[in-house]
Amino acid sequence: MRRVFFALNVAAAVVLVAVFALLPQHAGELRLQRFTYVAIYFIALLGLNILVGYSGQISLGHYAFVGIGAYTAALLVIGRPGLELLNHHPPGWIPLGDGMRAIFTIPIAGIVAGVFGYAFGLPAQRLAGVSLALATFAVGVSLPQIAKQFDNVTGGAPGLPLTLPTTPFGWNISVPHWLYYEAWVTAAILAFAAWLLLRGRAGRALGALRDGEIAAVSSGVNPTAYKTFAFGISAAYAGVAGALLAVQIAFVNPDTFPLGQSIILLAALVLGGLGSMYGALIGAFVMEYLPIYAQDPPFTSNGLSTKAPTVTFGVILIVIMLVAPNGLMGLLRSLGRKIIYRLNRNSVVIDERSPLGQSRRAEA
Amino acid sequence: MKRALIASALVAIAALVVSLPGAFATTRAETAATATPGVTSKLITIGGTFPLSGPASLYAPIPRGMQVYFSWVNSRINKGDHKRGVYGRQIKWKYYDDAYNPAQTVQLTNQLLLQDKVFAIVGSLGTAHNEAIRASLNQQKVPQILVSTGASEWGTRAREFPWTIGWQPDYVAEGRAYAKWIVQNAPNAKIAIFYQNDDYGKDYLSGVKEGLGSKSSLIVGEQSYEPTDTSYASQIARLKATGADTWVILAIQTPTVRALATAKALAWRPKDIVINSVSAIDLVMSAATQSAGAAYTNGDISSAYLKNPSNPTYAKDPWVKNYYRIMHKFAPSLDAKNGNYYYGFAKAYDVVRLLYLAGKNPTRQSLMNATRKMNWVNPYALKGVKVKTSATDRFPISQMRLIRYQDGSWTEFGSLLQGR
Repeated sequence: MRRVFFALNVAAAVVLVAVFALLPQHAGELRLQRFTYVAIYFIALLGLNILVGYSGQISLGHYAFVGIGAYTAALLVIGRPGLELLNHHPPGWIPLGDGMRAIFTIPIAGIVAGVFGYAFGLPAQRLAGVSLALATFAVGVSLPQIAKQFDNVTGGAPGLPLTLPTTPFGWNISVPHWLYYEAWVTAAILAFAAWLLLRGRAGRALGALRDGEIAAVSSGVNPTAYKTFAFGISAAYAGVAGALLAVQIAFVNPDTFPLGQSIILLAALVLGGLGSMYGALIGAFVMEYLPIYAQDPPFTSNGLSTKAPTVTFGVILIVIMLVAPNGLMGLLRSLGRKIIYRLNRNSVVIDERSPLGQSRRAEA
Repeated sequence: MKRALIASALVAIAALVVSLPGAFATTRAETAATATPGVTSKLITIGGTFPLSGPASLYAPIPRGMQVYFSWVNSRINKGDHKRGVYGRQIKWKYYDDAYNPAQTVQLTNQLLLQDKVFAIVGSLGTAHNEAIRASLNQQKVPQILVSTGASEWGTRAREFPWTIGWQPDYVAEGRAYAKWIVQNAPNAKIAIFYQNDDYGKDYLSGVKEGLGSKSSLIVGEQSYEPTDTSYASQIARLKATGADTWVILAIQTPTVRALATAKALAWRPKDIVINSVSAIDLVMSAATQSAGAAYTNGDISSAYLKNPSNPTYAKDPWVKNYYRIMHKFAPSLDAKNGNYYYGFAKAYDVVRLLYLAGKNPTRQSLMNATRKMNWVNPYALKGVKVKTSATDRFPISQMRLIRYQDGSWTEFGSLLQGR
């Protein structure tokens, strides 16, 4: 059984990579842009999944870290001379440089957001449950306000326009294609990194902490270290997503990172399926496409959609959660399991060696 | 396990290698534009983004007011060419909810361009939101016209962004008008200013200071608020302590109501000046009157450039009557008294005039040329207010009149003011 799932996993990963690599040849520009956003949300959800799905902590304000990454990237891309042109005069001690190529800002944004996340995780690990949820909520609420307050750096409410993205290194490839590949290659690398991280010691430690902290501690897991580590890593993922987002929309301002996006991010993760990377991928599609369909739902007159996109969105969310309480990935998994069991039960008659078949027979 | 991993990585790399040349190949063909996007023999598609939900959803009626006017244009027969629509083309109006989030504005504007294939982006709402799409639209040479924001930069930065143009009087001009009125009518006033701490409030603030000129010493106190603040008691107490007798409130609707209520609670009764977006919606002043009392709203000064559909003065105005008739016919369920419907309706009038001016075979370029030759009277605007632009003047509406609030309605007074 484990082998069947592993083979399925590998096959799914290969098919997914092939699909995303080949898609640009067949998709129009709009779909390409949509899928670029999917990659960006996927990265943010991978990070949130490490925090919520694996370490069992909660974050209601995770989009703030996306915002930190986005502002970091925007400031580095614009650079000090660019900011002076926009009539902003950030204090001299902030190392801004003279404008950086967008792709190099991605790791820096990840590190900056990661440091913020780690720093937040240190005091936050004293909190749990509702208190932690409230503390993270506060982060989500305060980021737009902080961005408004320090307007000599962040541009305040009017925001910072970035120069439009270009293809680097003189490559002969259109800008949407470039942004698409940039986002998906980053997403693939980070998904692989998350997989490596979670299948090893750290993943086991986080899982143990989630399922029973006392038991984990008595087995020698350091809860403080691992919990703050989870915060730092997930914030770093969010920061990378933010950098890609800032370049993609070529604009940042406080309204770009509203609290509502944090909630939608968490909702998308739960919808996709907690604790699963495929769940994060499904969640990323939900996050990009659900609000769009909510605006223009098929099979309805135009009247409903333009009046209440948010209501439509909410109703769809509720319906999905009723149908799939363990998220869409949970639904797929239980369906897959049923099919495999069915196949195995039929094969039991022929193949007596199947260990699974024996257990099924015993049940019957 | 490891072998499977390596195998999948190899497949992934192979797929990338296979796909990249294809990606390079498709890049060139895209730019070859043939016919004008969004214009067919029967249809002309235009679109915009608006906050139908979220913190600014109060503006949601604007695109619906526009829709009603376009529906009427599509159904009526034009006296000149005996055709419905504009030169026989039906106007298709597509608008999306960006929830006041610039990231959504960017995505949905792309959707309008690439999926709905609109001819032009019309009337999108919000200053930061229009800034977020401006560079990209100008690079692609897509008209971004009659934006629903009064920031001064739509007119002042026209050389940098020739594909962008505003519509209404800008905030700097409005602020200047209030200041000039104070200088003329109360040369010894002690002015307190309360403004929203963002570009919107600061545009107004700079207008007021410009208008005061050498008299800027009249300002005795300046306080700002954040749109998310829930109490202004400390700011307003400080303003009261300055002994000011004239209070310029450069705040949007809800904060203005709250500020007036706070002033009453602190028993401070200066002469108030409120901005156009407050006075244009009757609901706001009646809410303020309810929470602060008539003594705190009667005599308030503001400005207007459109007729007010719920003002008794205009009950017999043929154009306002026309507005109600069309609204009742095409959207009987909407509350036509809401000034935001009227704003959208009045703006749509100018959109249609522009589409005619762009010619029988309009192109994006001919539409932009038309925005440099606007010269007409919008019958839904105040009497005498002209819609006028030139190659150098990029402020379509720049005239306004001052208005005074008394017992539930606004009355115009004084002469027409030139904003620019």
